[in-house]
Amino acid sequence: MIALGENSLEMYKDVSQEEDFKFCMTCGICIAGCPASRADPPLLIRNLVRKVILGQEDDLLNDDTPWTCVTCSRCEEVCPQDVKPFEMGLAIRQWQCKNDETRLPPSLVELYKRGYTQAVDKSQELRAQVGMKDKLPTITEYPDLLEKYQKMLMQIEIIKANDYMFGG
Amino acid sequence: MKYGLFPGCNMPAIRPDVEHAIRLTMPALGAELVDLEGYVCCPAFGTFPSMDEDAKLAVNAWNLSIGEEKGVDLMVECGSCFSSLKMGHEHICHSEAKMKRVAELLEVTGKKYEGKNTVKHITDVLYHDVGLDRIRKAAKDRYKGVHMVVQYPCHTLYPSAQVGFEETPGKPRILADLVEALGATVDHYGCEYQCCGGAGGFHRAAHEPAMEFARSKLDSIRNETKAEAIVVSCITCLMFLDKVQKDLNEADGSEKYAIPVFDYNQLLALSMGFPRDQVASIAFVDRSDFISKYTG
Repeated sequence: MIALGENSLEMYKDVSQEEDFKFCMTCGICIAGCPASRADPPLLIRNLVRKVILGQEDDLLNDDTPWTCVTCSRCEEVCPQDVKPFEMGLAIRQWQCKNDETRLPPSLVELYKRGYTQAVDKSQELRAQVGMKDKLPTITEYPDLLEKYQKMLMQIEIIKANDYMFGG
Repeated sequence: MKYGLFPGCNMPAIRPDVEHAIRLTMPALGAELVDLEGYVCCPAFGTFPSMDEDAKLAVNAWNLSIGEEKGVDLMVECGSCFSSLKMGHEHICHSEAKMKRVAELLEVTGKKYEGKNTVKHITDVLYHDVGLDRIRKAAKDRYKGVHMVVQYPCHTLYPSAQVGFEETPGKPRILADLVEALGATVDHYGCEYQCCGGAGGFHRAAHEPAMEFARSKLDSIRNETKAEAIVVSCITCLMFLDKVQKDLNEADGSEKYAIPVFDYNQLLALSMGFPRDQVASIAFVDRSDFISKYTG
């Protein structure tokens, strides 16, 4: 049972500036065929959209299921109301990160520091084994570009606010 | 035909044999490839796109701008990279506010992005730009009569309005047509249009369900087809469908799952005579019998 009186009805404005998700008619086609709807607990994107619309703040903050999305975007294709459920899932992740820094994926730090999660620059031996002698021109090969890239990212509010994570 | 090769991270770091197959085959088919100096992670959906929309679009624009400066479209094999970059491109180019915000963020870097280029998946390039005729001639029917199945990269299909290049997005056929241009026979099966399940947070957050999800596809292939290989064109599909067979065998204590998985350009490279140790040497499921039998 959803206790409507306790909800933050304007919370949706913090989650998404888009209008599309308000048109959700709760049909559930986004869930049908969603691989992550088989996870335990299941990712039920329709329910997440309801939580946003009804302002179930605490519930949504503690919900881990947006992070099990496989990112196939099939839900986006089949939604008859153009709710853009996949992008709503990402918007919910962003909202969670903004309200709870422990949600920030650790991979962000790698991306900030070297442009990548996979250590592309350290794979030279394997690359040479398959006949590729030249180094890949990733950003770590260009320290001046890396500095500019980091400067660009440091303009982002949430990165600035958590700059201790990114090396200050 | 000239493209900026966006290799992403998994392909160059973990499966460089696929990258080499692409670097050898595409120019031989008339598609010149140039490198994108200073490129970074697309960004992957689990990173900046899960934290901040502006950061996501700025990083997309960073990568796109490297191609724009050289006057080339980006060519991508990895489904996730393709989807992140293409959806980013669409968002930036269809919103004045987003274009303006991206320009503000890029300003400190001295770079700019004006939306003059786009992003193409490698199967789009192969099918629409290179063309089946040229592929048929190059592949010389090495796989004539060999049964294969395809795994469509979900990220190239949906949402079709933003990323699609199939005539009928709900009923894709481009990868099957490309495989048939190699002379092979494409078998069809029940779970053909189900994604591999290997991308995003699914198989990390829910490993068992993701394994069972993949099992349903593999069983469908085993029971319904005569496939000797699974053909993909996405590094995640390749790595996941290969590794999950080993994981399932270990969990079952059997050797039941042993269908070789190839990226399309690996099959192409082998049929064009490029050396196997350079273009198809890294895999969990053994591919040597298949390679010896059909391409020597």
